[in-house]
Parts: sequence; C-alpha cells; structure tokens
Amino acid sequence: MLESSLLRDIENSFESYQRLITFYEESKNKSKINLVLESWFAANMAAALGAVLDIFLNELKDISFKFDQSNADIEAVLRKNDFLTYFGYERRKDSNNTTIPYQKLAPSETRAFHEYLVNKFVKRSELPEMSEVLTREVTKSIYEIFVNAQMHSETRFIYSCGQYFPKKNDLEFTIVDTGKGFKKNINERFNRELSGAQAIAWAVQDTHTTKRHVTGGLGLALLKEFIFHNGGRLQIISDDGFYQYDKNGDDSRNFAGAFPGTIVNLKFKTNDKSSYYCENAELDLDDIF
Amino acid sequence: MSNDDLTINIVNVTGDSYCISADDGDKVYEKIIMGFENNRKVVLSFLNVEMLTTAFLNTSIGRLYEHYSEEDVKANLEVRDIATDDKVSLKRVVDTAKLYYQDGKEALEESIQKIMEE
Repeated sequence: MLESSLLRDIENSFESYQRLITFYEESKNKSKINLVLESWFAANMAAALGAVLDIFLNELKDISFKFDQSNADIEAVLRKNDFLTYFGYERRKDSNNTTIPYQKLAPSETRAFHEYLVNKFVKRSELPEMSEVLTREVTKSIYEIFVNAQMHSETRFIYSCGQYFPKKNDLEFTIVDTGKGFKKNINERFNRELSGAQAIAWAVQDTHTTKRHVTGGLGLALLKEFIFHNGGRLQIISDDGFYQYDKNGDDSRNFAGAFPGTIVNLKFKTNDKSSYYCENAELDLDDIF
Repeated sequence: MSNDDLTINIVNVTGDSYCISADDGDKVYEKIIMGFENNRKVVLSFLNVEMLTTAFLNTSIGRLYEHYSEEDVKANLEVRDIATDDKVSLKRVVDTAKLYYQDGKEALEESIQKIMEE
C-alpha cells in the first residue's frame, strides 16, 4: 500500500517552511508520492509546493493528492488559483477575487511575467483597492525579485503565486526558483563556508552582490526599505537558511534539511496610504552623476 | 544642446516600456558606450519608460563607472524625463557603483568575513 505524505497547516511561518522541507527530504527516495493536504494551505505557498513537485515530476515520480474531506477549502483554493490545473484538475472560478494565479515561467520569459503581473494584478479592478503609488512600489518589488531569480539562480523555471487576505489588508506574493540558492552562490564566489542563514543575511545588505564587474545588491536592500515603511514582511528561504524582516527587525535561522532553491515571500499591507519618495522628490538631475 | 549630442530613447533600445531585465540594461550600456567612443555627449531619455529595476540601471548606467571616471560620466551623460522614484533608484545605483569600482572587491571580502564572525 502506498504510504502517504502529510502536509498540515502550511502558512507563512518558519515552522511551515520546515514542514515543506521535511516533506521534500523524506520524499526524495520515493517513486510515488500521495500527498495529503490537511487543515490549512496558504494559497501563495502553491508556488513553493509547485517548485518541489516539479523536481519530483522531472525525476518521473508519480504524484497524487488527497484532500482532508472535513475541510474542502484547500482543494477549492488550489483549483481557483490554477495550481491544481497543472496536475490534472479542472479550473474553478475564483468568485471571491482574492487569488493571483499560480504561474510557472522560464527565466527568459520576462515579457510573459510582465503580462501576468499586469493582467492578474495591476489591472484587476475587482481586487481590493490600493493607491497608485503603492501598486507601483509593490509591482516594482516583485520585478526586482523576479530579476534576482533570473540573474542568479540558474533555475529551469520561476514559480509565482499571490493571495489577498481582505480582512487583514494583506497581500502575500511568493516567487520561487529551484536554482543554486544564496548559500552556494556566495560560497562559490568567495570560497567560504557560510551557512544558509548567514548567506541570506549578507545578501540583503546594501551593495552586496556575487556578480563580477557589475554592481548590484540594491534590489533587496531597497525592498527592505519599502517593506519597513509599508509595514509588510520579507521572508527568504534558501537552502538551509531562513531570513525574515519586518517592523520587529531581522530574524535569521537555519532549517533541518534544505529547500532545493529559493523562496521569496513578500507581504504587503494593502491599506497603506503613504506617498513614497516625497523627501527625495527635489533630487536634482545634475547631482546624480 | 549642441548638435553633437546623441539622444538615446531607452524605450527604442529595449523595445519595451518596462525595463526590467539586466540584459535590456546591457543594450542601453552598449549604446551609451558607442556615443562616448565617438566623442558625443549622450542624452538618455527615459520618456515613456513605465517601470525599471535596479538590475536594469546597474547594467545600463552603473557599469559605466568601471571604465569612466565620475568627471567623465558627469560631463558626457545627461538624463531626462525620468520619473521621481526612478530618479531616486538611479542615484542609489550610481552611488553604489562609485563605491564598488573604487574598493568593491576588498569591501565585499571584508563584509563576508564580518558576517561569519557575527
């Protein structure tokens, strides 16, 4: 009889990511995976689960799902956000208009990612109203993360998915790759042995980059500044490292086991009415260079 | 503006009003270099650019400081029609580039050592 793998209570916490990593580690040597999703599964985490399952599919493993029948919401949500349509399920209409669908793109597909963001996020009038400035900043942040994955990870695909939580005024957006990760990139570049948590903590600092001959490292630093003002949260899970930044500061930890790539999870407060960059609006063009 | 100025419309070079990828930045960089090598002052127009990333700005403009001095860039490059938030990003990219090409390698090595000791 096929032994099932259980994923229970997957939201956006260190413990949830640990459960996903444990599932990955324990399933590596199986040829068939019957995945039971139970209790809760945050829709944006479909990007992380999809990335893991794609690795297994690439290894020709059989994958099937079983949903906790006492809570039909998990299956419904994962059909509404298109995730399960990648695994042979029919699509279901998102009548609540709270999902930004699951999307899987090759790193070179910048324009397709742009169309996805515009059509499924920026121009969706039925989604909760956000100020124009905020929408622009959120969109820009998401592009920065996509480009980071494109430039650094050497991944086969980039996975993304988003979810609104209207009562909390939260937008969670997740971008995942199955590439090299921060730890391998940085340790190879500098011939060091940083832990996953140390590697991420280094990379989120202003000006830090593994690129040779080209400056970089600003994307994550600027994103942190925006997150601070917005009251949101940045999480990076890469290899065995976990990093979180929010109004309470930084939190770096290491997992037991390793995620096969990088997850960047962004939480934005959608009711933020700030107008960013006002203090710098007078910056003279002659002073830039 | 003198007749020797070379205006580069970014949207024309990238073919897109969303300047996202580092590769698109490379295309703009090559155009700027062509202008510099032909002793033309380059006017870089951001007109109709709807959004850009720091990755794009790093490869298009930040990289100039590897081969040109601050004085040369200041004298030979002008930007116009740039959105306020993009202007702020560009300033950060330029400041970072100046530091990086001055003592970048040593500073990065030091920062790695520091994080390992924390």
